[in-house]
Amino acid sequence: MASRLGAVRWVAEFGTPRIYVDRDRWVETLRRARDEEGLRFFSWLSAIDWAKESAVGEGVADPDSLEERFEVVCRLSSVESADAMHFLAVVPKDDPVIDSIVPLFAGAAWHEREAHEMFGIDFRGHPYLAKLYLPDGFEGHPLRKDFPLLSREVKPWPGTVDVEDKPSLENVEAGGER
Amino acid sequence: MTGLMHRSEVAVSVELQTPDMTLNIGPQHPSTHGVLRLVAKVDGERIEEVEPVIGYMHRGYEKLAEVRTYAQITALVNRIDWVAGFASEVPFIVAVERLTGIEAPPRAQWIRLILTEMARIASHLVFMSSYPLELGATTPLMWALRERERVLDLIESVTGGRFHPNFNRVGGVKPAAGGGSKTKKISMDLPAGFFAQTKTAMEKVLHVCDELDELVTGNEFIKARTVGIGVIPPDKAIEYGLSGPNLRASGVDFDLRKVEPILPYDEVDFDVVVTTSGDCYDRYVCRLEEIRQSARIVLQAIDKIPSGPLQAKVPRVLKVPEGQVYVRHENPKGEFGYYIVSEGGRMPYRLKIRSTSFSNLSILPWLLEGQLVPDLVAIMGSLDFVLGDVDR
Repeated sequence: MASRLGAVRWVAEFGTPRIYVDRDRWVETLRRARDEEGLRFFSWLSAIDWAKESAVGEGVADPDSLEERFEVVCRLSSVESADAMHFLAVVPKDDPVIDSIVPLFAGAAWHEREAHEMFGIDFRGHPYLAKLYLPDGFEGHPLRKDFPLLSREVKPWPGTVDVEDKPSLENVEAGGER
Repeated sequence: MTGLMHRSEVAVSVELQTPDMTLNIGPQHPSTHGVLRLVAKVDGERIEEVEPVIGYMHRGYEKLAEVRTYAQITALVNRIDWVAGFASEVPFIVAVERLTGIEAPPRAQWIRLILTEMARIASHLVFMSSYPLELGATTPLMWALRERERVLDLIESVTGGRFHPNFNRVGGVKPAAGGGSKTKKISMDLPAGFFAQTKTAMEKVLHVCDELDELVTGNEFIKARTVGIGVIPPDKAIEYGLSGPNLRASGVDFDLRKVEPILPYDEVDFDVVVTTSGDCYDRYVCRLEEIRQSARIVLQAIDKIPSGPLQAKVPRVLKVPEGQVYVRHENPKGEFGYYIVSEGGRMPYRLKIRSTSFSNLSILPWLLEGQLVPDLVAIMGSLDFVLGDVDR
C-alpha cells in the first residue's frame, strides 16, 4: 500500500505505518489516501524540527549523522475502522515550503497556521496563513529547537534535581519504600 | 393635506441603508467558555463571516514538554482539558508505556477506566448545566452541578485532586490519596467505602438524567432554539476532524472505546450513542445519553475490577527508547491523542498534543456562516469546547 501511495520509504511502528513522501507529491499522496484508502478523517498536522543542537531540553541521539531538516507530519485515519497512517514529508530548512492541504481537508487550516507560526514553514496555497496563537508582531518560531525558553534563561528549573541521575539505576518497585 | 402627501413621497424615495457591521464578541464573554474572541461581520441579524481569535490561553505545553521528564509531563497534560483532567492523562501515559514496553497491571487499568468514565460524566454534566443556561434555563445548572460535585468528590477521594488528578504513573497509578505512607500500606489502594459511594453516586447521576429529560429534553423552548439549528453534515464533520459526540450526533458511528480501546472497554457492555440529524439538539441528546452509558460502565466496572498490584516494576530513572508513537483515546469531547517522538532520553524530543476542542472548534467559521446572531450562542455552546483544550 505504501508503494501505491508513492512512498519514498515507510516504517511500521506500533501498528501505524509512517509513510515518507516527497514534498512535491504531498497533496497528491494525501488525496489518494483519502479517496482510495478510505482515510477520510483528518486527525492532525504538525511538524518536527530535526536539529543538531537544542537550546533547551535533550537533543537527538546521534547529532553527527543527523541531517538537519523539518518534517511535516499529517495523520489521516478512517471512521469505519482503526486504520490510520502518518504521512511525513521532509522540508529543507533553507527552503521551508510545502503545499497546503486545505483544499483537501478544510480542517487543516488551523493546523497549518499553527505549524507556520511555530516552525516557520510556509504552506503554499493556504487561504489565510496568519498567526493563530501568537500575538501579532511576535518574533521567532517557538517550537524550533534553537528557540530558547525565556523562563529557563532567567531562572533554572527547580525540577532539575529530579532530572539528574540518581546514584542507583537499578529497578525499584514503585510505590514501596524509597 | 399637501404636507402629508409630501412626507409619504419622501419615505418612498429614501433607500434603506444596511451597511455591514463588525460585531466583536469576547474575549471576556459568558458564552465563550473562557477567553475566546469572535469577530463577526453581520448584515442585520445574519452572520456573513466569523473569525475566531484564539490563543489567549496558549501556554506552550508542547515546548514545555521538551524540557521535562515524562513523569513531570503528567502534571501538565491534565491541565489541557481541565473539565476532564483525568481523561487527558491516560493516553499520554499509555503512549509512554507503549514506547517503554511496560504494561500497567489489570487493577490499575480498571481504576483508570472507572475514573475516565467519571471524568466523562463530570464533563458532560458541565455541558448539561451550561448549555441550557446559555439558552435561558437556569434550573438545570443547579441540578447537574449538584451531581457533578458528587462525582468530583469521588475522583478527589481517590486521586487527591478534583480537577488535576496527576494520578497516572508510567506502569500504573499512584497510591490513593492519604495512602502511600510508610505505615499505612493498606490505604494505598482505593479508599474505604469507594464502591458503595460510587454506586450511590451513579444512581443519583442516572436520576438527574431522568430529571433533565423531563426538564430540558422535551422542553418546547429548548427545542425551538436547537432543533434544526447548526446542522453539521457527516462529510463536513469528518473533513474538519470533529470527533466525540459532535461527530456521533451527525450520524457517524465511531467511538474509540470500541474501535481502539486502550483500557479494558471490551469487557464491559455499553452502547455507542449515535444520533442522526447533526443539529444542536442532537448533540445535546447524544451527550445526555452518554452520561447514562458511562454510569452503566462504572457500575459494571466496580463489580469486575480485579485485585492485585497498582504498579508494574519501573526503573527509577525512566529512559524511553527511540521511537515515535501516537496513542489516542476517547476523551469526553472526542479523539484526544499524543504523538511522542523519543530520541532515547528522559524527556521527549517532541510532543504533539492532538487536543479535541481545537479541531472541534475549527468548524465554527463554516458553521456560523449565514446563521442568525441569536443562534450564535446556541451553536457555539453545542460544540462543548474548553478553551484550555483549544489553546493548549
